[in-house]
Amino acid sequence: MKPLLSIKDLHVRVAGREVLKGIDLELMPGEVHAIMGPNGSGKSTLSQVLSGRETYEVTKGEVLFDGGDLLSLQPEARAHAGIFMAFQYPVEIPGVGNLHFLRTALNARRRTQGKEELDAMDFLQLAREKSKLVQLDQAFMQRSVNEGFSGGEKKRNEIFQMAVLEPRLAILDETDSGLDIDALRIVSGGINALRSPERSMLVITHYQRLLEYVVPDKVSVLAGGRIVRTGGRELALELEKKGYAWLGQGAGGKEARP
Amino acid sequence: MTEAGLQHYLDLAERFQAERAAGAPAWLRALRQDGIAQLARQGFPTTKLEDWKYTNVAPISGQAFSPVRTVHEAGVEAAVARLALPGPGPRLVFVDGWYVRELSRLDGAPVGLTVRSLREALQDGESLEAVVGHRARAEASAFTALNAALLEEGALVRVAPGTVCPEPVQLLFLARGDNHVALASPRVVVQAGENSELTLVESYVGAAPGVSFTNAVTEVVLGAGARLTHLKLQAESETAFHIGSLHVEQGRDSRFASHLISLGGALARNEVHSAFAAEGGECTLQGLYVGHGTQHLDNWTNLDHAHPRCTSRELYKGVLDDNARGTFHGKVLVRPDAQQTDARQANRNLLLSEAAMADARPQLEILADDVKCAHGATVGRLDEQALFYLRSRGIPRAEAESLLTHAFTTEVVGAVPLASLRDQVEELLARKLPGVKEGWA
Repeated sequence: MKPLLSIKDLHVRVAGREVLKGIDLELMPGEVHAIMGPNGSGKSTLSQVLSGRETYEVTKGEVLFDGGDLLSLQPEARAHAGIFMAFQYPVEIPGVGNLHFLRTALNARRRTQGKEELDAMDFLQLAREKSKLVQLDQAFMQRSVNEGFSGGEKKRNEIFQMAVLEPRLAILDETDSGLDIDALRIVSGGINALRSPERSMLVITHYQRLLEYVVPDKVSVLAGGRIVRTGGRELALELEKKGYAWLGQGAGGKEARP
Repeated sequence: MTEAGLQHYLDLAERFQAERAAGAPAWLRALRQDGIAQLARQGFPTTKLEDWKYTNVAPISGQAFSPVRTVHEAGVEAAVARLALPGPGPRLVFVDGWYVRELSRLDGAPVGLTVRSLREALQDGESLEAVVGHRARAEASAFTALNAALLEEGALVRVAPGTVCPEPVQLLFLARGDNHVALASPRVVVQAGENSELTLVESYVGAAPGVSFTNAVTEVVLGAGARLTHLKLQAESETAFHIGSLHVEQGRDSRFASHLISLGGALARNEVHSAFAAEGGECTLQGLYVGHGTQHLDNWTNLDHAHPRCTSRELYKGVLDDNARGTFHGKVLVRPDAQQTDARQANRNLLLSEAAMADARPQLEILADDVKCAHGATVGRLDEQALFYLRSRGIPRAEAESLLTHAFTTEVVGAVPLASLRDQVEELLARKLPGVKEGWA
């Protein structure tokens, strides 16, 4: 089997500073791979680079998605190829209705696939069904995108969008941040329901907490812009007990940089 | 502005006065004469004047616009059918400033509501001396003076005390366009009696592309407890010119709301002058101006808090693309006696191109001490984070930009309290801001 995502020696600069210093990572279809690391280790940079944020400069290396060059694609083209990022801080967009936004997004992708666009009625049907996954109230779907949503509602909305858009690769960027335990359960339940042999997930998190619910196949630790260790689920538990300092040189985030 | 330009308008007004003198009451002759005198004294404004700093009216004053007596033409009827708001309620139609009875609809007015041509009302000898020119003073502006000098036609809207009008009144001002280099000088006079309620729509539209000049003045007096919603759609062709001023006097505990949608014209200026003449009034002023190409859209508001315990809420938003320029000048005066005034003003501008420009000039003068006043003005571009969010979901850049642009306009469009006008505005916006799919709202 070929990897769905293949990151090779990726170097990334943000505002003149090298944040990622040679990342190598492979993600097989259906695999759930957790990326853990202290603040400032480059976790969010990695997720943003994969989704096509333009403020990041790739200075070296390559990323292949399904065998094709990912980095040359515009953000919308990445979405069409099947990449979805659940944002750490979902953006509020007053004046754009949640449902209209999502139908526009889904139809844009369907066009590139040569599929017929969904009309408002068919889409509403689909949205209702998918919203049950994260117990998102109908009222939220009618409101402006994320406007006035609580932290938990925003994250549920992200997973709801993922359920509708059915990506091949989901990047979950600190999806557990800002969630209370009930919201975490609901969100994790939604994520788990979307696990499938055709869908890979990159779960980026600072804490082990989310991984109790969304159990990863692999765990990698990112520190100082490099992956310093990769292992199974037990690695996450060990980190929880011992902290990141235990990994030694280069693993302590900002403090550990030479 | 050339002297020859001013002279053309003065000659025009003198001829008009001479022709109309017979049969006109003394007060009307005096009002026209005062208009001529004020126009001669002031001349057309230049950008040296503070109130006209950003708007050069030379394209108007330099051209010989003249009243063109309308003849009934094929095409006009179709344009009225296309541009009039659907739904019941009285409707007066004006073509190049002239009232056209055959295209108007006078039935449907409830008892207590009078809607009629101003010219007919004057001919019938209605007593309008105390009303016409009461709020709109010729000394205030050369354009108000010009309107007074040529005063003859327009609309008279009277709501008797206690009358609640369930349906809106529409005044449709149609510029024929084509080769009619017409000057229209409508005067709209609105008297809302105590505790009356009315929604009034003024639509300024073009039947065909062309160069016309509309110089409109509207005067409104609200009695105690009256509620008036004034909706203005200014959407002539983009080669037309429009100067319009709305002058409002609010009685005790009255509520006035103005919603302006400014889309048309090569050069358009929409003024709102609102004054509280007694305690307890509420005034809402909202505006949306959307310009592209080389359009120049000037918005000018003046709120006079002259009495205590009045509330004003002002929100103007602008979207400017290409080489368009939008200006907002918002004066708020809180006089020494106007304690417990609550005034808020906001102006937000969205620039869609490098060359587009917006000037925001809030101007607050607060002379009372027990007041709540706030204002804010912004000029910015589309939110990059929101744009990225939409694109990351698969929405192509152009479509995402258009979604966000429309979202910016919905705050004002959505607040227009008349569904038929809202629909019309949304349709016009969808055409003006391209790349939009049906049902974006």
